[in-house]
Amino acid sequence: MSAFGNILLGGIFHAAVLFLVAAGLQLVFGVQKIVNLACGSFYALGAYFGITFVTLALKAGMPQWTLLPLLLVAGAVMAVVGPPIERILRTVYDRDESFQLLLTFAMVLMFQDIIRFLWGANPTSLDNVQLVYGKIVAGDFIVPVYNLLVIAAAIGAAALIGLFLQRTNYGRLLRATAENRTMAEALGVNVRGIYAAVFTLGTLLGTVGGALVVPTAAASLDMAVEVVIEAFAVVVIGGLGSMAGALAGSLLVGLIRAGSLVFYPEFEILAIYLIVIGVLLLKPSGLFGKPAA
Amino acid sequence: MTAGNLVVDIDGSPILRRVSLEVSAGELVCLVGRNGAGKSTTFRTIMGARKPVSGAIALEGRELLGLAPFEIARLGIGFAPEESEVFGDLTVAENILLPTWTRATQRSATEREALAYRVFPRLERYRARGGQQLSGGERKMVSIARALALDPKLLLLDEPTEGLSPAVVPSIVDGIGSIRQLGHAVLIAESNLHHVPDFADRLYVIERGEIIYAGAPADVRKDLAVARVVDGVG
Repeated sequence: MSAFGNILLGGIFHAAVLFLVAAGLQLVFGVQKIVNLACGSFYALGAYFGITFVTLALKAGMPQWTLLPLLLVAGAVMAVVGPPIERILRTVYDRDESFQLLLTFAMVLMFQDIIRFLWGANPTSLDNVQLVYGKIVAGDFIVPVYNLLVIAAAIGAAALIGLFLQRTNYGRLLRATAENRTMAEALGVNVRGIYAAVFTLGTLLGTVGGALVVPTAAASLDMAVEVVIEAFAVVVIGGLGSMAGALAGSLLVGLIRAGSLVFYPEFEILAIYLIVIGVLLLKPSGLFGKPAA
Repeated sequence: MTAGNLVVDIDGSPILRRVSLEVSAGELVCLVGRNGAGKSTTFRTIMGARKPVSGAIALEGRELLGLAPFEIARLGIGFAPEESEVFGDLTVAENILLPTWTRATQRSATEREALAYRVFPRLERYRARGGQQLSGGERKMVSIARALALDPKLLLLDEPTEGLSPAVVPSIVDGIGSIRQLGHAVLIAESNLHHVPDFADRLYVIERGEIIYAGAPADVRKDLAVARVVDGVG
């Protein structure tokens, strides 16, 4: 029972972080029709900068309990990379998807070098902070409170994104632009402004996701590509462009990953991709995706 | 609004050849021409979606060329396209309110919304309905009502009755009549002369990208060549 509980919570924690990255990917694709591989780099940037920021802040005398707010701030600060990247992506908005994939993949490689230049090639981590908020112990079942806070933050983010898209006028303008950009423009919507805002929000979700993961895992150069692979599995399972799909897909991928790490660590990625193949065979548009017209 | 000597090429072929037209405040003008004559291109060029090779477009003396479509809309040109293009993901009410979020005018949003529903009272019942759950005629009404909610100085209606069942056409024409009474200038593209409302002030006939007639609707058949075009023969 406790093993099951540990897998479940481990999986949900991973799903929470993955959801943030996948939600950014979905939002950007949904509105801008760009498949943004660089979302993995934003995640990595958030992680590395989170470590540096928290280390400096704690050295400067900030109390340990400020860990979570500090990481959120670090993630938010790193979202400044969003607008300049969006400016570069404008060159491929109306071009073939292969250009978008090439350009955003080039960005992944460039960011990898930038990270290597700034933080070095070795993995780096934030030690001894995961338990600053304590842990919950019940027999063999142990969960750091930090993990629960991150899960709560991701649920909060999902709810806020949902409310923003469904209930605010700006969210409605986003949905209108996502559906028919030309018509939205003809009704006075500044589509460029919307794109810049959406991309920055997508970046923010990635950088915050990366920052939140560092108390539990080391930051490494591979993390950008690793998270992109998982985020794509999420998107394929959940359906491209769907927020509900991002949520369901993240949970599924998080739980499968946690389960396979315990029982068959070798099959971690394989297990995820078996599900991806299954979804592609049975429901190609994903669990929550709209079938292609 | 004045458009002077517009020349538009698409993929190297001339689509508009020195098209000039003018719509004064409060006027209802029709641009009549067969499919492919250049009506939609004229509208898209006015809306800033097509860049002309040469020519000029001005709204109340302000040059529009070079402005982005959203800036042109915010200056006060409302557009209801031929395919209606109602946002399916938004409700009817949200579709109609949308332009009140992008352009502020002297009329309040509530007032603009009320005017849109007054023109097409039938839409009141469908406020909460999703944009994809509408019939063709209802979509046209939403599209026109939405353009009107921009509180535009000029309204461009591309084929407002095209493809609709004859039973719906009168409510659209009545709606256009009420819009005119509100004092908005209106330019309508129409492929069928019989659909031109009786209350049109002036008429342009466009054929192969050229304006071949400009004048009163009553005189349009006086020139034999023009008559052939508007009657769809020759």
